[in-house]
Amino acid sequence: MTGIKPTMTFHPRPEAGAPTPWAFPAPERATLDNGLTVLHCHRPGQQLVAVEVLLDAPLAAEPEGLDGVATILARAFSEGTDTLTAEEFAGELERAGATMDAHADHPCVRVSLEVPVSRLERGLSLLADALRAPALPEHEIERLVANRLDEIVHELANPARRAALALYGDLFESADRLSRPRAGSAETVRTIDRAAVQAFYAAHVRPATATAVIVGDLDGVDLDGILARTLGAWSGDKAAPATPTPVKADDHARVIIVDRPGSVQTQLLIGRVGADRHDETWAAQVLGTYCLGGTLTSRLDRVLREEKGYTYGVRALSQPLRSAPDGSGRVLLAITGSVDTPSTAPALADTWTVLRTLAAEGLTDAERDVAVQNLVGVAPLKYETSAAVAATLADQVEQSLPDDYQAQVYRRLAETGTAEATAAVVAAFPPERLVTVLVGDASVIADPVRELGIGEVTVLQP
Amino acid sequence: MANPAPASSSGGLAITEHRLANGLRVVLSEDHLTPVAAVCLWYDVGSRHEVKGRTGLAHLFEHLMFQGSASVQGNGHFELIQGAGGSLNGTTSFERTNYFETMPAHQLELALWLEADRMGSLLAALDQTSLDNQRDVVKNERRQRYDNVPYGTAFEKLTAMSFPEGHPYHHTPIGSMADLDAATLKDAQAFFSTYYAPNNAVLSVVGDIDPDETLRWIEKYFGTIPAHDGKPAPVDGSLPPVSGEELRLTVREEVPSRALMAAYRLPHDGTREADAADLALTVLGSGESSRLYNRLVRRDRLAVAAGFGLLRLAGAPSLGWLDVKTSGDATVEAIEAAVDEELARFAEEGPTPEELERAQAQIEREWLDRLQTVSGRADELCRYAVLFGDPALAGSALSRVLEVTAEEVRDIARQRLRADNRAVLVYEPVHPEAGEAPQTPDSSEISEAPAVNGEADATEGGAA
Repeated sequence: MTGIKPTMTFHPRPEAGAPTPWAFPAPERATLDNGLTVLHCHRPGQQLVAVEVLLDAPLAAEPEGLDGVATILARAFSEGTDTLTAEEFAGELERAGATMDAHADHPCVRVSLEVPVSRLERGLSLLADALRAPALPEHEIERLVANRLDEIVHELANPARRAALALYGDLFESADRLSRPRAGSAETVRTIDRAAVQAFYAAHVRPATATAVIVGDLDGVDLDGILARTLGAWSGDKAAPATPTPVKADDHARVIIVDRPGSVQTQLLIGRVGADRHDETWAAQVLGTYCLGGTLTSRLDRVLREEKGYTYGVRALSQPLRSAPDGSGRVLLAITGSVDTPSTAPALADTWTVLRTLAAEGLTDAERDVAVQNLVGVAPLKYETSAAVAATLADQVEQSLPDDYQAQVYRRLAETGTAEATAAVVAAFPPERLVTVLVGDASVIADPVRELGIGEVTVLQP
Repeated sequence: MANPAPASSSGGLAITEHRLANGLRVVLSEDHLTPVAAVCLWYDVGSRHEVKGRTGLAHLFEHLMFQGSASVQGNGHFELIQGAGGSLNGTTSFERTNYFETMPAHQLELALWLEADRMGSLLAALDQTSLDNQRDVVKNERRQRYDNVPYGTAFEKLTAMSFPEGHPYHHTPIGSMADLDAATLKDAQAFFSTYYAPNNAVLSVVGDIDPDETLRWIEKYFGTIPAHDGKPAPVDGSLPPVSGEELRLTVREEVPSRALMAAYRLPHDGTREADAADLALTVLGSGESSRLYNRLVRRDRLAVAAGFGLLRLAGAPSLGWLDVKTSGDATVEAIEAAVDEELARFAEEGPTPEELERAQAQIEREWLDRLQTVSGRADELCRYAVLFGDPALAGSALSRVLEVTAEEVRDIARQRLRADNRAVLVYEPVHPEAGEAPQTPDSSEISEAPAVNGEADATEGGAA
């Protein structure tokens, strides 16, 4: 305290008023005649409608040697239809004030549309045409392949991307699709052509195995009529849903340094796999992970940022990989951030100390309470927009979870005690079973990191 | 094909305005759809107010605002807000510093109490330890966002070329490492005493609120904080409409691909000409139906992506931001020739009616997107109050863009999108290869804490 005396009048910290009850919205579920599953949810006042379509085209279904074909297909959905060229399609979307994005990830291909409710039918009709009758024009496919090849070089130059590539590549067996870049490598992307994209589309895109999620202010909207004229007009055969293979990873402690000479910072990515949303311990794991590294007052940043100044911020988080109703799915658990180069080994040493102290002493009740109040309390803020609600509903579908899953998670979080949260986070981040990837200047960081004894160190040259 | 129906243009942002005796301006807007309330506080101080040798001070100071105040220990601002189920952050740009909380509605009073506490009593808690710690954090923020990523310093370089030495916008908010090292506790104290006054701020509260009760709380917590004058006016940032010469810098660095970037000098934010420029840049370079995308990416295949964005500035000319990354072996010369040809054609023809309609629809959607959340609305109200003196202008902003004519769009392109009105930055890689998506720089605004999007950090996937 420097003791500069303020002249304002101080008042005691105010108490909270009476909370207004809030619950995660429950969607309504229906199946159209063509087999398409539709979840919709009315959100008063949300003039932008968010639509997510999930296609049962997992990356594991890509043919051998064609990694990236799902990504090229996803991108090709906006390259024209049976009635519109690629340029016309882009123009019509923009004329409707809409945006459409698509990307392929391990569980499925997701196509997202956002459109003002007043132009919902136009937006959905463009989306339906893209799914029903994509032109997949040869010259545009060639361009998308060339652009993907361009993009790979940029990914390799980005420290965070580079770290993730190295971690996935090392954590999973090479036969598992998880071990290889989601959008393909230069070797595989180069071989993708129109025929391959068309074949992947024909094999995996059909309404019977797809789900659409529609969220927004639907008051006065004839949703049934609009759906019948748009996504309902998409036809296709029946097929069984894909069955995900269990996730297995080798998490014996080790350190992989990806050499990036001259880096002024080291990118850290410390990871392994852990329980997913089907597991009984999920809520406890979320709570414990937040206490470890959810915000700048969590255990990691309290030391690494607010005491030592090593970083702008380090976070502990989880990210779904593949999920299955039988519980054989897993998430990636990770600690990630970047630290200035000379602080690399000291920051890792502090991270291990934080983890060991957590295992030895556990979380405090105060930490648990603040975390619960935050995680549960922010829900109405977090789900203010249609897009946020639609994304979570789509995640639930993608991970084979019931429609009321998120609502139940909030109930479970509130019931989770300190001991339960401690047990989950300690099990999630055992110091002796963490794979550490460092993207940075190996000539400076390798020796001090070896001395830490957090695992055998391998240096990869770029 | 059916014509799309016009989107509903609900510019209806119902607001009330108030001013406390100490000069604090207050804007309230009621909306009971969701039980949340946003608090937003804009201080009329940004990097343009910094003096030589102390660049980065406004942003470093913003970090210090989270290090406690008379009634709040240490990281208490974060702990109390997050513990109440709220979210918070602060950001610093050229022209202002903002602090914001979104709260469950029943916790609104806490956020007001906290903002008042630091506005009135920060110096009671500010000490050398916090300053030294946050200096290190900010230097790591600079490394993470600018120094350790390919093309990371492009924004800083082009800004410095666009605004001459001595101009208040010549340096960017992050500041230089040397100046960050040089900042003293005395500097921070003087900065607070000069700029952090109720009469140099606008407070907006939007959402599920009772306006009378909210105003009573604001009066209670902020009302006794003394006003103080003596804030020096920032250096005048006005410049001639056209720079009259092309400045050019070629950088040879270890970047993944060649790149052509440029900043064009454009009208000040808040003018009809700035809206016309926004429409011109949208037609030329925003989205996959834009002229530059169609020409450079689809047809000529010179670029992996190409785009134009507008960095709106009120106290200096806005900047039109071109970013093109090459595809394969394409050269910057070929790209530049194609860009110049497209700009010349556009200056001659202006937008077609379809192009103008599409650009207006895009801007409308972006506007709806910003107004979807209470925090987005609170921020816009502060913006119009601080930069243009009237928060009600937020409610009519969209209709002003929709009134702009094709002739006005063509005229502004003709006058401003010229080679003798730009700074050009070319990247030639030490090991040349390929490209990525262009972005309008978000680097004009930097935050207290990293956004909670940690998931992206652990993903290698190439989302389009």
